[in-house]
Amino acid sequence: MMRWPAFSDPVHDGQRHFRRVLAAMAEPGTLHVAAAPAVPEDAAIGPALWATLLSLCDLDTRLWIAPGLEAGGLTGALSFHTGCRLTAAPEDADFALVTPGTLAEPAPLFAEGSDAYPDRSTTLLVVLEALAEGDAWRLAGHGIPDTRGLDLGEAGPLMTRLAANRARFPRGLDAILTCGERLAAMPRSTRIEANVADIRQEECPCTSQ
Amino acid sequence: MNGYNFAYLDEQTKRMIRRGLLKAVAIPGYQVPFGGREMPMPYGWGTGGMQLTASILGEDDVLKVIDQGADDTTNAVSIRAFFERVAGVETTTDTAAADVIQTRHRIPETPLSAGQVLVFQVPIPEPLRFIEPSEEETRVMHALEEYGVMHVKLYEDIARHGHIATTYAYPVKVDGRYVTDPSPIPKFDNPKLHMSDALMLFGAGREKRLYAIPPHTRVESLDFEDHPFEIQAWDAPCAMCGARDSFLDEVITDDAGGRMFVCSDTDYCQKCREEVA
Repeated sequence: MMRWPAFSDPVHDGQRHFRRVLAAMAEPGTLHVAAAPAVPEDAAIGPALWATLLSLCDLDTRLWIAPGLEAGGLTGALSFHTGCRLTAAPEDADFALVTPGTLAEPAPLFAEGSDAYPDRSTTLLVVLEALAEGDAWRLAGHGIPDTRGLDLGEAGPLMTRLAANRARFPRGLDAILTCGERLAAMPRSTRIEANVADIRQEECPCTSQ
Repeated sequence: MNGYNFAYLDEQTKRMIRRGLLKAVAIPGYQVPFGGREMPMPYGWGTGGMQLTASILGEDDVLKVIDQGADDTTNAVSIRAFFERVAGVETTTDTAAADVIQTRHRIPETPLSAGQVLVFQVPIPEPLRFIEPSEEETRVMHALEEYGVMHVKLYEDIARHGHIATTYAYPVKVDGRYVTDPSPIPKFDNPKLHMSDALMLFGAGREKRLYAIPPHTRVESLDFEDHPFEIQAWDAPCAMCGARDSFLDEVITDDAGGRMFVCSDTDYCQKCREEVA
């Protein structure tokens, strides 16, 4: 018997979590905490990502899950609580559950929207090994008074992809970054720069994917 | 709130609007289409703003509603009563005490702070609509960043009146990309959009569009080097509180030409009078 925990109060817990995600998207790089709900048994995601799925997915959304992340009771719990549809085609996905490694070449071709309808794009929901304030990545753009820094552990392929957003604006991918109970967002408009000193550090494989 | 879901809208509608809001914030100034719902009031009374408010409002939020700056006019009183009834939230007239402020055609004089959300009621979200009636065409114009006509419109003002005569719904460029209608706020309020600490959301119910200006975002009012953007100014202070830094409404006091100018922001005017007293 799989355990499929979810929000204890779907209406208000969902609203509270949405406001966290909205605040994260409005001020890219700020950290927000979602301690609940408990995640489905053996799932490879944390409470922050589970809460995001529960508060944004429903019958109208299609979710693409990277191979390896569908482990445990995740897909069963998702169908049970949200009724969202799973898709095997990344270009059809409203949301995509990924790790930074998923974006390594050859990366799945997610929807980027068009110049006339840039909102018809895939939003990445990212499972990270680390997410903290730091200097590894410097962010600038709307919602950031000067610059803001984040440490994301080993996130090279993801950040290369997100940094490329700027050149295609307004088309692009928005990302909701999560690690356990922590959550931040990186919309397509954010300008991303790697801190050179940290890139050298990343080249030595001290953290495992 | 018997018989209604919290904040009137059903959860699936809220989620649809919430997903739209995330896109709107990610692409500042871009108009996101959404499946507008019928609200228990006619279009033109703020159905777009109400749907946004209903989708973001939480049980712990304190709500303020203003109409042309005033807390005590019909539209503001009705919408405030509506959310008291269907969401049971606390309401206030104090700008600083509010978490969510729904507004029709003004930005409060009291500077907004981080964490506050301002929800605008928008009649016509498309700034290019009066120049180009086709939605298909304006979509392409936004896609190609083809905004020359907007300057032609402002130039025609100068040719006819000697100055830019647009006084409200004055077009802005958000984050250097999208030309956006700030809703019919007086141009006096345009500078408050620039690098605001608060999140600003815009909802148009009839047109079924929503858009956003996130905090700390560049917002420029369109102008010319030789005709720079200017805001309204008055010769006299507010006749009730003496403020010189607020937007004033002209009030006719008799049928013999008597008139006075008073703050349009009733909360601000009240606070100023309390300070003097």
